[in-house]
Amino acid sequence: MKTLKLFIAILALSVGIANAQFTKAELQVSGLTCSMCSKATEKSLRTLDFISDIKVDLNKNIFVLTFKKDVPVNIDLISKKVQNSGFFVNNLKLTFNFNGVKLADNYFNYAGDTYKVINATHPLTGDVAVTVVDKGFSPPNVYKKYPATDSKPGKVYHLVI
Amino acid sequence: MKKLYWVLSLMVWWCPAFAQELYVNTEPASNMATHSVGIRVENQGYFNPTYKDRSTLEVMYGASKNWMIHGSLYESNYYEADHHFEGGSVYAKYRFLSIDSVQKHFRGAFFVKASSINNPLPNQEISLEGDNSGAQGGVVFTQLLHKLALSASTSYLQAFNNRGGFDLPQENSRDAVAYTFSAGYLLLPKSYENYNQVNLNLYVELLGKDNPGYGQSYLDIAPAVQLIFNSVCRLDFSYRTPIYNDMIRSSKNTYLVRLEYNIFNVF
Repeated sequence: MKTLKLFIAILALSVGIANAQFTKAELQVSGLTCSMCSKATEKSLRTLDFISDIKVDLNKNIFVLTFKKDVPVNIDLISKKVQNSGFFVNNLKLTFNFNGVKLADNYFNYAGDTYKVINATHPLTGDVAVTVVDKGFSPPNVYKKYPATDSKPGKVYHLVI
Repeated sequence: MKKLYWVLSLMVWWCPAFAQELYVNTEPASNMATHSVGIRVENQGYFNPTYKDRSTLEVMYGASKNWMIHGSLYESNYYEADHHFEGGSVYAKYRFLSIDSVQKHFRGAFFVKASSINNPLPNQEISLEGDNSGAQGGVVFTQLLHKLALSASTSYLQAFNNRGGFDLPQENSRDAVAYTFSAGYLLLPKSYENYNQVNLNLYVELLGKDNPGYGQSYLDIAPAVQLIFNSVCRLDFSYRTPIYNDMIRSSKNTYLVRLEYNIFNVF
């Protein structure tokens, strides 16, 4: 019985960990209009190993990214690829599965990175859409509204629901 | 001068109808995507007094998000009866300013160019596109407003003696000032559905040069049409003709046809 309990506990924990993942994102790129520019950006994003699919709205310059289930997502690389294409991230709205993730003072860890959900007032479960409000992911009028005041050492990504 | 005023007024009046910054006769302040390669094959020429033409092979590379480089090779029969290899040029551009928002941007870039050419020097114009050995440095600003793109540049050119023993004549200016103003408009498609739609862009560009202290100058108007296929292949047509001209040169009344192919994420 003890073994079974332990097994269930481990299973629950591993399911929890497996669930805690960025599943998709809506990426709006600023500074472009023509389809040649969009194509260059999409080709650059497709080199990221954690992206499984990209659908693009060429009129709104929105790229809908689908992430692979088991590969950790690195959002810095998304911003880097867009900038390398000659443009900027105007908005990055990520869907994160919070199952098995506990916010501690609004912070949580994912794939070695620290994230802070600035305006979370209650525990989060299931799929939640969060927008990154840091420099490199949003225009100046947005990231200046959220100056970093973190108690955690190292780099922290800031999200709003 | 009256003519210039008239043309400028007309362009300003037309501006809301123009856009796109993949200019045919000038370079915008924006760069290619990092690690992308563009290959251009170009032919230009004139029909009077006799038909002469020049072909150019140009390779462009996005070195980083802020740097891009071009290398060009030239051949023509402009200065001899037969076609011959004239030399080459290298060009580098550094984007130092980017103010972007959705479907808008304002960019600034510095550029430098150097060329080594083996032609005789019968012209007064200093041109690093196959005619003169020389160096050029300048600045360009580009404003994109959805389907409208405006760009302006100014640069300084210094001519050297050409290779092959063709020294710059004593009476020629050794330096020049160049300036450009370009407007482009994305005419088709009206609304995007996929990458395979053919894009049609229209351009009007003003290309001017002045040899300071020599009373030699010109200003050309160069309308251009551009087709883009599969979002990777570009076909350009342009014709430049003087608004006014006080300079002996080969670039007066010339056509241009260019095919460009872009390969993304090469290395």
